Amino acid sequence: MSVLPSKTSRGARGKSRAGMAFYDLDGTLCALNLVHSTLFILANLGEWSSRVGHLLSFAARTPRLYFAERKDRRLLNEVLFESYQGISADRLLALGEEYCERVLLKHLYPRAVEVLDANRGAGLEPVLVTGAPDFIANPLARHLGVNHVAANRLLMSRGRATGRIAPPVMAAEEKAAWCVEFAAEHNLSLAACWGYADSYYDLPFLAALGHPIAVNPDRKLRAAARGRQWPILNFDHSRDTYSGATPDGARALEISGETIDGAS
Amino acid sequence: MARPEAKLKELKPAELKHEVGARSDLVVTINRRSERRLIAYGEEFLYEKLPVGTRVIYPPPPLEELPDPDQAIRYALLHPENADPLFAQLNPNMRVTIAIDDISLPLPQMRAPDIRERVLNQMLQTLADYGVDDVHIIIATALHRRMTEAEIRRVVGERAFKQFWPDRLYNFDGENRAEITMLGKTDHGEEVWLSKRAAESDLLLYVNINLVPMDGGHKSVAVGLAPYQSLRHHHNPATLRDSHSYMDPKHSGLHRSANRMGAIVNDNLNVFTVESAVNTRMYGPMMDFLHKNEDRFSGWDRTRTDAFRWTMRNLSNELRRSVLHGYRAPYGMTGVWAGDTDAVHDKALAKVFQQYAVPVKGQSDILIVGVPFICPYNVNSIMNPILVQCTGMGYLFNMYRGKPLVRPGGTMIICHPLRDEFHPEHHPSYIEFFHRCLAETTDSVRLEKEFEREFAHNPTYTHMYRYGHAYHGVHPFYMWYWGEPARQHVGRVIAAGCEQPEVAARLGWDSADTLDEAIAMATSDLGRSASITYLHLPPLVIADVE
Repeated sequence: MSVLPSKTSRGARGKSRAGMAFYDLDGTLCALNLVHSTLFILANLGEWSSRVGHLLSFAARTPRLYFAERKDRRLLNEVLFESYQGISADRLLALGEEYCERVLLKHLYPRAVEVLDANRGAGLEPVLVTGAPDFIANPLARHLGVNHVAANRLLMSRGRATGRIAPPVMAAEEKAAWCVEFAAEHNLSLAACWGYADSYYDLPFLAALGHPIAVNPDRKLRAAARGRQWPILNFDHSRDTYSGATPDGARALEISGETIDGAS
Repeated sequence: MARPEAKLKELKPAELKHEVGARSDLVVTINRRSERRLIAYGEEFLYEKLPVGTRVIYPPPPLEELPDPDQAIRYALLHPENADPLFAQLNPNMRVTIAIDDISLPLPQMRAPDIRERVLNQMLQTLADYGVDDVHIIIATALHRRMTEAEIRRVVGERAFKQFWPDRLYNFDGENRAEITMLGKTDHGEEVWLSKRAAESDLLLYVNINLVPMDGGHKSVAVGLAPYQSLRHHHNPATLRDSHSYMDPKHSGLHRSANRMGAIVNDNLNVFTVESAVNTRMYGPMMDFLHKNEDRFSGWDRTRTDAFRWTMRNLSNELRRSVLHGYRAPYGMTGVWAGDTDAVHDKALAKVFQQYAVPVKGQSDILIVGVPFICPYNVNSIMNPILVQCTGMGYLFNMYRGKPLVRPGGTMIICHPLRDEFHPEHHPSYIEFFHRCLAETTDSVRLEKEFEREFAHNPTYTHMYRYGHAYHGVHPFYMWYWGEPARQHVGRVIAAGCEQPEVAARLGWDSADTLDEAIAMATSDLGRSASITYLHLPPLVIADVE
C-alpha cells in the first residue's frame, strides 16, 4: 500500500472537512482493467527474450486468472502480480509512467474527471483506492492532482519484483478496512464520504462509505445497488477524450457568482 | 334525468362559475346499498366499502373531442389570438426555436400520434414553406430528467425525429452554463434565466398540452426552459404556502411568480404559444369501468374489475410496472389555440375547467384519496415515497378551487402501499433526501435552509442530471415543498394500506393496514359523525368547493 503524503492534508488537518471522495480506478475512472495494464508492461519489457518469457508465463496463468476472477478479487490480484516477478523496480516505474501517459490518460472517462474535479471544488478531496499497482496509480494520481493514493505494492528483493503483493491487498474487504483506517487517521466521518466503484467485489468498500455510487456497475453490483438504493452513475466516452485536468473543478458548474459548495 | 354528457355540452367555456347541481350526479353519497368503490392504490386498486354518508366525487365524463385535430391546429396557427399568424411572422433568415412539454404530460402517455407531434408537423411544414432553416427543438425539461431517445421519438414523431435528432432536437440542460442566460429581474427581485438558444431566437414557439389548469401559460416557457437560478424563486415553501390552489392560477403564488417572470420573457422574446386541452378519456373501452360510478356497474364491468385486480395482484413488480407504464391513453383533443401567451392560456383554462370542474358543497372532516401508479415525475419509473407525498398532498389535495375539500385541521387519508423503493438512476438525490434529510426534519423551511443548496450543487447529482436520466439534485426538495399547503392545512395524514409504517413515519404520517382502520383512526379523533369525502380518481376532477 502506498499513501502519498500531501501538503493539502497536512494543511487541512486542523479544520473540519466536508468529507472525501474515494475512487476506484479500473472500470470507474477509466475503461481499462488490470489485465490490460499488466499485458502492456509485459509486452514492453526491454529485451525481446524477457518479453516472450513473461508473456508465455502470463498465458500459462490464464486459467488460474479466470478462476481467480470468478472466485475472489484478492486472489486475482495475487495471481496477476506474479507476472511481474523478476522485473526490475526502475523498469516498472518507467513503464508505469509510460502506460499512464500513453494509454491510461486517453482512456479516462472525461466526465469522471469532471465529477472528480467538481467534487474537489465542493470540498470533497479525492482519494484513489485501487487494486492497480502503485507504479501505475501514482503517476495517474499526480496527473489528476490526487494527493492520497492507496494502491497495491509489489514486494521487491534486491531491486527486482518478487511477484508478491505487500499487505494489505487492495481488494474487497481490505479496501474497506483501509478506508476506515484512513478516515480515522484524518479525523473524517465516513458518513460524509463518497465512494465510486464499478465491481461487485467493491461492495464492502462502497458499503463502508456514507454516499456509495455504483459507476458503470457489473450485473451483480447493479442488483446490489438497486437493493441497497445506491445511485447508479454511468460514464462513457461520448465526449472527446480527456485532455487534461481542469485547473478549477468548481468552475465548470459555477453560475452567476455561485459556486458548487454553495458559497455565494 | 338527462345524462351528464348532455349537461356538459350546455356549459360554454365562459361559464366557469356554473350552478351548484349542474353536475350533481357526479357527487354521490354512499348509503347502505351502495357498491364498493374502486380506489387507486399504487399499481393496484382497492375495492372497498365506504362508510354510509361518505361523499364520493366523480370526474366529469369526457368532453367531445375535436373531429379533426389537424385541421383545428391548422386553424389555430392561421387564426391566432392577439398575434399575427405564424406564417406572417416568418422570414428565411430568422432563427426559430420550438420548445415542447416533456414526458410529464399528459399522464399516462397518450396514444400516437401525440398532440406535440401533430403540432410540430404543421409548424415544421410552415417553417419549411417559408424557407426557415435555422430551427431547433428543445424538450422543456427544466430540472426534470432528460427524456430518452425512444421517448423523444415517440413524442415528436418520425418526421421531426429523423430531421432534427440529435443536433437540433435535444433536452434542455439547466446546468450548462454556456446554454443559459439571464434576461432580467422582476420587480420582486426574481432572476429570470432562460435557455440561451431560446433567448437568442427571433421567434420562440411553445407547444403545450394542458392536462390540468396548473399547466401552460407562463409556466411553460418561464419554468420549462429555466434553470435552478430561476426556479428557486417560486419553488420554495413561502411561495407554495401562498398558493390556494395550484389548480387555481388566479389564487396561486406559484403562478403569480411564473407570470411575473413570463412577462419579462415576453418583453425580451417574440413568443408564439400553442396550447391544447385534452378530455378525461384516460382509459379505452376495455378499462372504461374505471370512469364509472360503481353503483351503475354491469356484470361485465364487475368481471373486468375483478380480472384487472387479479391480474395486477399476480404480476411481478417489474412486469406490472412495465404493463402500466406501457399503457397509452386514448385522450381526445378538446381544443387548441395559438398566439399571445395570456390570451391563449385564458381560452385553454376555460376549456380545462369545463372538463374537470365539479361543484361541491362544503368541506369535509376527512378526505380520502388514492395515489395511482403514476405522477408527472415517475413516467417509466418508480413511484417512490417522496412522490407519493407529492401526489397525495401536492396534487390531489390541490384539486380544488375556492376551498380545500378537507377542512382546516381535518384528516387526509392517502391510500398507497408506500414502499421504501427508489429508482437509482432517475431519482438518486431522492434517496439521500429521504434517508438523510427527512430523518433530520420534515420542516420545509429547515430543509430549504440547511440542505437545499448542497443538493442543488452536488456534482454527482448534477452529472447524473446532465448526462444520465436523473432528476436534478434539488428536485426532491421541490416535491417536498409541493405538499406544503396541505401540511399547513390538515391536522393529520394517514397512509392507508401502508406496507412499511416506518416509511409513513419518515414522512410524518400515521399508518394503517387497511382503509377501514385508517377511517377508524380518523374518526376516533374527529368523532363518529365526522364527514368523509372520497375523491374518485382516475381520471381527474377539480372540485369547486363552496
